[in-house]
Amino acid sequence: MDRVYALAGPVQPPGVFAGSANVVSVLVLLAEFGMLRQALLRDQIRLYAAQSGLISVLAVIIAAARHLPDLYALAALSAALKVVTVPVVLRRLLRGTGPDGAPADGADIAGSGTLSVASTVLGAIVVAAFGFFSVGALGIRGPVLPVTALAVSVSVALVAFVLMIVRRDVASQAIGFFSLENGISLAALVVAAGLPLILETAFLFDLLVAVVVFGMLIRIHHGRAESLSTAELTSLRG
Amino acid sequence: MSGGHAVSAALLIPVVQFLQVSTVAAGAPGISGVIARMEARLQGRRGPRVLQPYYDLAKLFRKEALAPEGASWVFLAAPLAAMTCYLTVPLLIPVLTSYPLPLGYMGDILGGGFILSLASFAVAVAALETGSPYAQLGASRAKTFGAITEPVVLFVVFTVALVTGTDLPYALAATVRSSAGQIVRPAHLLAAAALFMVILAETGRIPVETHTGTNEFGMIEEARPFEHSGPYFALLRWGSAMKQLILYTILANVFLAPWGLATTARAGAVGLAIVALLAKACGIGVVVAVIDNSFAKLRLFKITEFTAGAFLLAVLGVFTLYLGGG
Repeated sequence: MDRVYALAGPVQPPGVFAGSANVVSVLVLLAEFGMLRQALLRDQIRLYAAQSGLISVLAVIIAAARHLPDLYALAALSAALKVVTVPVVLRRLLRGTGPDGAPADGADIAGSGTLSVASTVLGAIVVAAFGFFSVGALGIRGPVLPVTALAVSVSVALVAFVLMIVRRDVASQAIGFFSLENGISLAALVVAAGLPLILETAFLFDLLVAVVVFGMLIRIHHGRAESLSTAELTSLRG
Repeated sequence: MSGGHAVSAALLIPVVQFLQVSTVAAGAPGISGVIARMEARLQGRRGPRVLQPYYDLAKLFRKEALAPEGASWVFLAAPLAAMTCYLTVPLLIPVLTSYPLPLGYMGDILGGGFILSLASFAVAVAALETGSPYAQLGASRAKTFGAITEPVVLFVVFTVALVTGTDLPYALAATVRSSAGQIVRPAHLLAAAALFMVILAETGRIPVETHTGTNEFGMIEEARPFEHSGPYFALLRWGSAMKQLILYTILANVFLAPWGLATTARAGAVGLAIVALLAKACGIGVVVAVIDNSFAKLRLFKITEFTAGAFLLAVLGVFTLYLGGG
């Protein structure tokens, strides 16, 4: 039981590579927390783009540290898809869903949280802690594995679930789903950086399918309910 | 370097210790002046002189002191008590030297935090003594939000304790200086960011409160000394400027940039450290002025969101350490 929990002395720094990988993954988690409080659809999409950009930065860091030239290509591809294409496609699909057919930028998702922002954040901290310590309890260790980054990726996925649960608008739920994928990408980068490029690319294009499907769902919902809110769905219709 | 400074005489350690306190006391109004000036320039105004806070203090010290009817001795003692606290804290933190001075071990970071909150408690009690609604409102709000920012400070202290194995500010500064790995570790960055957010809240800067203004409804820290006048008001103003510089010093010399501190007691090195400290504080002040100009004040009930954000950063810092990767 010589687990890292035994904190007799100072915790040694993990080194510059693991340290910066951990910082980037923590920033990804912070972006996820930012989505919990975002009040404008436009900013929500921007935050998603920023989060995806951080994943690409992490890919570059890992590529440089472990000499995996494949990962540079993956970083570029992932940036092109998730930082540029997905936000553009999302904005296209959401065009006209604002109040009175205004551009989607004006769409109001401000009051869609079920809880107040501060309580949501505190609840999400608890959920993130669960993710963190459950990975810690697994006792995974490896010479090249930044355990903290892996634990953070689990937290990102769990907080994305919180986002999908507490927000009552389809747009936030869709973005929660996409950022869940970001969490999984983070885990994949940390655990299996040497995965063949073709597989990684296939996963990325899966995301594009999800974006289109979600976009259609959002449009259909908006067409029926004339709102992005899912609160309408609870009432029965004859 | 050593050749150039070899001629300067070594100062006695008590003199260095006295210089720590007097640098903070004398420099604090100037830092406030720099921030006010910078803020005005960014808004396209000419702004007050950098030395304006000193003139204000000099004017207030010459004025007559009045107390509201029914206020007891507590009302008059509080500014002195607060000032005493603010003069004590610089003894505990690395202001000028990278080596601990004899009185530096009187208290750890937590001790410094206690003394700072004792000062704020004294001011709050005096505000309650006045019977003035605005002063009481300010005191009650300051205490309410303090109850949320203090856990953040505690978690920052935990982070420091886990990183260094002690909670002495000198030890953390030395650890940060020791290697690049110490700087990029997420725990360090998260704790520093959380501390910065707490500093914004504690010094009454923009996401929480407008620092200069007459809008009583939004006031928190600024409303408390409303009923004080003359030298007592001057002490409170000076004290809050000192609190600001003390917090900036902790942020700069313990977390962000513990470089440029004197390693010896030589007069040249200590003089350079004074200049470096004031420059670092001005740097933080410029950042604060930019934040002041780029964000809107949060509604009172949204301030909990801001403090919840700071709490998130501090808690994540401790988490990352527990998996050994922070």
